[in-house]
Amino acid sequence: MTIQSEYLKERRDQEWRAELRNKLKGKERTNLPRVHMPEESPEERVKHQNLEVNTGLSKEQALVEASRCMDCANPTCIEGCPVQINIPEFIKNIEREEFALAAKTLKQTNALPAVCGRVCPQEKQCESKCFYLTKLKKEPVAIGYLERFAADWEQNSGIMDIPECAPKNGKKVATVGSGPSSLSFAGDMIKLGYEVTVFEALHEIGGVLKYGIPEFRLPNKKVDIELDVLKKMGVKFETNFIVGRTASFDQLKEEGYEGFFVGSGAGLPRFMNIPGENNNGILSSNEYLTRVNLMGANNDKNDTLVLKGKNVAVIGGGNTAMDSVRTAKRLGAERAIIVYRRSRVEMPARVEEVKHADEEGIEFMNLANPLEYFADEAGRVNKMRVQMMELGEPDSSGRRRPVPIEGSETDIDVDLVIVAVGVSPNPLIPACLPDLTVSRWGTIEVNDNMQSSIPVLFAGGDIVRGGATVILAMGDGRNAAKSMHEYLMTINK
Amino acid sequence: MNQIVEKEFFSENVVKLVVEAPLIAKARKPGNFVILRVSENGERIPLTIAAADETKGTITIIAQKVGVSTEKLAQLEVGDALIDLVGPLGKETDIHNVGTVLACGGGVGVAPLLPIVEGFKKAGNRVISVLAARSKDLIILEDEIRKWSDEVIIMTDDGSHGKKGLVTQGAEEVILREKVNECIVIGPAIMMKFTSLLTKKYNIPTQASLNSMMVDGTGMCGACRVTVGGKTKFTCVDGPEFDAHQIDFDEMMMRLGGYKTEEKIDFEQFMNRS
Amino acid sequence: MANLTTHFFGLDLKSPVIIGSAGLSNSVEKIRLLAENGAGAVVLKSVFEEEIYNEYQSEIEKQSVAHHNLEHLDYFDYEIKNDRVKKYLELIQGVKSAGIDIPLVASINCTSGSDWVFFAKKLEEAGADALELNLFVLPSDFDRSADQIHDYYFKTINKVIEASNIPVSIKLSPYFSDLARMIKELSETKLVGITLFNRFYNVDIDIDNKELVPAKILSHPFEYLQSLRWIGIMSGRVKCDLAASTGVHDYETAIKLIMAGASAVQVVSGIYKHGYDFVKELVVGIAKWMDENNIESIPQLIGSANTEGIKNPEMYERVQFMKYFGEFDKAID
Repeated sequence: MTIQSEYLKERRDQEWRAELRNKLKGKERTNLPRVHMPEESPEERVKHQNLEVNTGLSKEQALVEASRCMDCANPTCIEGCPVQINIPEFIKNIEREEFALAAKTLKQTNALPAVCGRVCPQEKQCESKCFYLTKLKKEPVAIGYLERFAADWEQNSGIMDIPECAPKNGKKVATVGSGPSSLSFAGDMIKLGYEVTVFEALHEIGGVLKYGIPEFRLPNKKVDIELDVLKKMGVKFETNFIVGRTASFDQLKEEGYEGFFVGSGAGLPRFMNIPGENNNGILSSNEYLTRVNLMGANNDKNDTLVLKGKNVAVIGGGNTAMDSVRTAKRLGAERAIIVYRRSRVEMPARVEEVKHADEEGIEFMNLANPLEYFADEAGRVNKMRVQMMELGEPDSSGRRRPVPIEGSETDIDVDLVIVAVGVSPNPLIPACLPDLTVSRWGTIEVNDNMQSSIPVLFAGGDIVRGGATVILAMGDGRNAAKSMHEYLMTINK
Repeated sequence: MNQIVEKEFFSENVVKLVVEAPLIAKARKPGNFVILRVSENGERIPLTIAAADETKGTITIIAQKVGVSTEKLAQLEVGDALIDLVGPLGKETDIHNVGTVLACGGGVGVAPLLPIVEGFKKAGNRVISVLAARSKDLIILEDEIRKWSDEVIIMTDDGSHGKKGLVTQGAEEVILREKVNECIVIGPAIMMKFTSLLTKKYNIPTQASLNSMMVDGTGMCGACRVTVGGKTKFTCVDGPEFDAHQIDFDEMMMRLGGYKTEEKIDFEQFMNRS
Repeated sequence: MANLTTHFFGLDLKSPVIIGSAGLSNSVEKIRLLAENGAGAVVLKSVFEEEIYNEYQSEIEKQSVAHHNLEHLDYFDYEIKNDRVKKYLELIQGVKSAGIDIPLVASINCTSGSDWVFFAKKLEEAGADALELNLFVLPSDFDRSADQIHDYYFKTINKVIEASNIPVSIKLSPYFSDLARMIKELSETKLVGITLFNRFYNVDIDIDNKELVPAKILSHPFEYLQSLRWIGIMSGRVKCDLAASTGVHDYETAIKLIMAGASAVQVVSGIYKHGYDFVKELVVGIAKWMDENNIESIPQLIGSANTEGIKNPEMYERVQFMKYFGEFDKAID
């Protein structure tokens, strides 16, 4: 038995959990239907960029949903969680109405539960391993909704529990970037007794959580409260600081930093490199979302501007594309269109996001791929040529390959195009560390311990994976923290 | 942090600010730029570093009032602080001993040119600077440029200072007179375009420093993309300096006008309010 | 010394020895070597759309395990595509900025019409002097009629020509039932040159391991005969330049092909076998032979085997030319 499973068994054997298990019969639990997440109406929500679409479970809903959880002896759900939240323990705490303890359980391994409860693809992670789904072929326990419930309950209570930290060990470590992987790393290292400084190039902490994910999906306020907990735990945040530029790694080493975690993310937006793509009115989803989410360009009181369009096309089928197109709708687009070269079922976006977009009147132009853009005299895009596609043989992702239909080109009127076809790793860090091994695609190469070719430098998240979800990045941060701790303890013996 | 310790108006619309920024002052190299925000609701403004004093821990930035954000910047007084300042950003200028360097600066483009001129002079080059502006009061940093140049030619559109004419006329005069090994040009896009055409004619390797639109300045947004030699480049991480003969200046100028309508409305609203 | 300049790809070439599309020319240094040895032009390694797709597939396999995130990989083929174009661009710009004076011809092979145009435009932007379409449809598709295949050729070619500002030529396969007519009709488009023939990777069987394996890649010296015959037949009847490819392993073969009507010859296997000096051997060999035979220029030599001493070349000589082969076949039977 591993330490982890011994620990889980010990927790499961607590008296209160045994009692709770006996409170209801198995059938009484499994017969309960899965809860539905309450939502703002589509008519209302498209009017506000900052109105959260999912409104969260009520206490009653949460209690019923929590009672569906069987508190399995072998909780497979945890295997599906990159940060290994003790899922049954937090859910059973909800069931017995110990919401603060539920939140505390989450924060043992997850620095950002209110974030994860909103943006994690639970259907591909913990919920995909749920006993209900794997054994009973029923809808899994809504672990994500419950996580959000517990985290929100604590935030709304006004009393945030500050996780305990080990006595200071006198060692300093730094993170490069302040996105999910860095924050997760920082949360674990501060608990282990390190002095942790998070260096961020932008003027706000949070990385993609702030500049990327829109308010209607993840309110910045929610992120700020979780950041505040990290601050209270002792994590130092330095904004407007580009490691490698504002100060070099060597300078930071001289200042006593012994270990670095690079979570600088996938900074560089990719374009398709097709004719006319540099016309005005064609921007990356990064630019579009940054202007709105980080700089507040949707609000007149802020100086930053954002181009608005009547006919907005968003190229891509991922979550970023959905965030962009739904933002465009909220900023007043008459037509907000997803242009995606595969069919709807192949879209990488979460099903929930596609459903929300659909309800909000987003048009889906599937099996269509842009070939060229045209502009008016001022250089502003006014038309795009798309080629229609059909699906061919399945490719290695298991999805059918889009094949162009010859002679099927059509032109559509657009005055704003947002390109959401992915991002590449940010080159700033590799550029200032010649000894760092990077892949052909610019990602930092790490071993199983998230350690790079420079031993004191660990890395995780998009800069390693190219593109990862928030929760995978956070898992990397935790793994890196564990490995760096072991490493620093060994070399300092 | 980021306190303004000195302020001077070069002309009605051009202001010089000396700002406390010890780390940037130490780390910056010719060609680098910073991004700053004036206030909580402010835009991120990219500005090149005209000078730095490592011992005092300050950098000098020069801004031209072109819209709401630069207007707000110009309204700051000594003792005020910038809410955000980050840098140094961008690649540093490739400075080495090449022989004779022709440095052409137009308008506020002279500000980023200054550290480059200084660098080339210190690297042992003969440096000839051509500064150009519409009229006398728009010629900035003349004395500072003189300090690091073997010769300075001033060109004004109205002939109110130096010679009457365009930067290209001053530059061509030098090229016809003596061997020029390298040229660097910074200024309005149109001025860089024609200077680049001129030096291309004479086959002189030329660098131009671009002032593209930016949001983050770290490669994230792609607003600053520019076509160089048939490839799309990001000014913030691949530049700001590029081989001028490879730059698609027409596209660049078109892109600089990308927010013209929105900016105009915004500026009018701002001026009405204040 | 004889004047070796000739004309192909719509360009003036310093010699009739063209380096065919292969990895031989994948660096500035290699191209410098080829130019120094007297090559007339270099066709760069083909950009294969299918290769890009395969690489995309393997990236998905490699990366998706670590991801659970298709979003990042969804358009990764563009990343690969652009990476290829970037490498091409760097190579071409490297050659140009190193001052190496040799025409660079970009070669592309695609399956979809839009990609042909995409790459044609990109490679032109990259600075290629001309394009070679490595266009073939293996006639192994049961659902495609001859007419459909023809149609595909002409549509694709016209699309690329329309999109390009640099001369476009084609490297053709011999798999047409109406080959002569096909070549003739192709020459009547805006194509500036046709190279006969494309050489395919063949498949073989390993009888010990009982598996399919790639057949030997390099050409054999006797393989030039097919090109020789068809260049002989088509020479003088086409409205564009012809070049020969496959089986040029010595200067004598090059001379024969030019005499049959080729404006230039493409070589690859010979260089792989004998090294970069082989180019010089060919060039020097051709020049020496021309000097010895009092031939001053390549145009004088082109097609001379078909016209010399024959009064009505339009009809007569072709038949004889074929008959020659017929008799030769009989002779060895």
